[in-house]
Amino acid sequence: MSAAPQSASTRLQRRVFEILDGAVLDGASKACEIFIATLVVANVLAIILESMHDLHEAYSAYFHMFDLVSVIVFSVEYVLRVWSYGAKYASENGGAWRGRKEYLFSVFGMVDFFSTVPFYLQLVFPGADLRVLRMFRLLRIFKLSRYNSAMDDMFEAIKAEKDSFSSAMFLLFISCLLFSSLIYIIEGHDQPDVFPSIPAAMHWFILTIISGWGNVDPVTYLGVALVVVTQVLAIALAAILTGVVATAYTAQVQRREAIYETEVREVLADGLVSDEERAKLKQMQAKFGMTDEQVEAIAEQVDAERRARGET
Amino acid sequence: MVTDLKLTLMEILDGSPKYKVSRYVEWLITLVVLVNCSAVILDSVPEVHAVHKEFFHELEFWSVMFFTLEYVLRVWSLGAKFGPDAGGAWKGRRQYIFSPFGLVDFFATMPHYLHMFFPALDLRILRVLRLLRILKLSKYNTALQDLFHAVHSERRAFGSAAFLLLIATVVSASLMHFAEGHEQPQFFGSIPHSIYWSIVTITSGYGNVEPVTKAGEVIALLTGFLGVCMAAIMTGIVASAFSNQLSRKKAAYQSQLRAVLADGVVSDAERTTLKKLQAQYRLSDAQVQLFIDEAQNKKK
Repeated sequence: MSAAPQSASTRLQRRVFEILDGAVLDGASKACEIFIATLVVANVLAIILESMHDLHEAYSAYFHMFDLVSVIVFSVEYVLRVWSYGAKYASENGGAWRGRKEYLFSVFGMVDFFSTVPFYLQLVFPGADLRVLRMFRLLRIFKLSRYNSAMDDMFEAIKAEKDSFSSAMFLLFISCLLFSSLIYIIEGHDQPDVFPSIPAAMHWFILTIISGWGNVDPVTYLGVALVVVTQVLAIALAAILTGVVATAYTAQVQRREAIYETEVREVLADGLVSDEERAKLKQMQAKFGMTDEQVEAIAEQVDAERRARGET
Repeated sequence: MVTDLKLTLMEILDGSPKYKVSRYVEWLITLVVLVNCSAVILDSVPEVHAVHKEFFHELEFWSVMFFTLEYVLRVWSLGAKFGPDAGGAWKGRRQYIFSPFGLVDFFATMPHYLHMFFPALDLRILRVLRLLRILKLSKYNTALQDLFHAVHSERRAFGSAAFLLLIATVVSASLMHFAEGHEQPQFFGSIPHSIYWSIVTITSGYGNVEPVTKAGEVIALLTGFLGVCMAAIMTGIVASAFSNQLSRKKAAYQSQLRAVLADGVVSDAERTTLKKLQAQYRLSDAQVQLFIDEAQNKKK
């Protein structure tokens, strides 16, 4: 902590950063989270409802008004974020613009930008295609993922098992090339309207992989055999993918439990649990999304081990 | 005398390994439930119903009598669960009556009496309630309970998966609406319409409508692939929940074992505790032996 007296604006910046970042959940940041999440959900609902012709006709003024208000709120949020993230790093650590740059080019920063700014483009160029604009508005749904760690968890788990995932994808890719070329060679002459080219055959292959049944009935015996093999491959690929996800997920949970257990052991090592340590554990539990039962089980186990060691 | 009888009956109905009879009672109830469910299924075939109508009617009557007796005995005997100082007879009874099992026992049996008094009731509802009897079996098979526990302990992961599913549905439906709304307004004219299509595509891989534009085709393929991924994620979470639950049970059993072995003497009470824990966690004898060997090796 620098000893230099902080000006009021620096303190304000720091406070706004804490509220928006939500790393330490206090009342204000929680309220801010709920407010933005609610507004996002309302926006998505509005986009869905607006697509119904009758509703759009009847309430178009309200929809427009709501969109305007939302854009203003989101713009204020964006500007505040860019401004306050200047407080993330001290001046000797990279300065104000390091935190800002980090945010601007992060996934969330991009989502925040592209879900809001196209609205202003429309004000400037009123001739833009409305459908494109609506698609950008739909991006707002991804603002929610900031408050739900689902996507982070998923990407983290995939990253840890990226070798298995890439081999599964490689298998899918190779078999796609091989099987669509084969079906094109075998059935291309008999059904030129459905297998006119290898890309068209690829379409058939992917449909067969995801649904178990492609868009085409084979007419030759070889074609039938190939379809059956492809269907078996579809089941195998689904099983591989499932297995990889299951392993990745289990490994993630176990890694987190191990980290938490180490922390608990460290905290209990001196026999005392200070308030600070308790708060740290709580924060860790929230970050890892562990349930109270899991935490209790770990604490009990560590405690039992300590007692067993103490008695021998 | 009456109290003793009540206590014995409670333990028998509760499936205590102390009495051999409790095994037979379990089998009898299971048998009656299975016969009942088969009867409900067969009864729905018009030809069978026409020929054996009387038999099914008799069977239903005696089954209801049997289940009523079971219910009454359970309510009565569970009065012995807590002593008068721990809440009295009605605490145990109330616990049973409002537990999932108690509610299943009640609703699988009692509506039949309603039918006796008001014969004009809709028979289909009654038949559905009769099928509830199959849930009585979950008392003797912990599969359902295990599943609920596993899901409960991974509820956050399931919530996240549901969130992903929701986003995938809304985004794919909206994209499809933008891509094909003009070409096929009867299917993709509004986002709620397209949501139906995207749920069908995510669950089955093949939507109810063929896209006509190139963009639509690409979105349809991606949505189908996303469906495969969602199934993989859900299955993966369930599998991992089960395996995590198992390893947690093993850890709990091991720590209990360590505590028992710590003083070097294994008393009868401790042995019973371990046996009970083993039965509760459904660990095999071989696994338990492995744990014991491990713990003893460590002590040496």
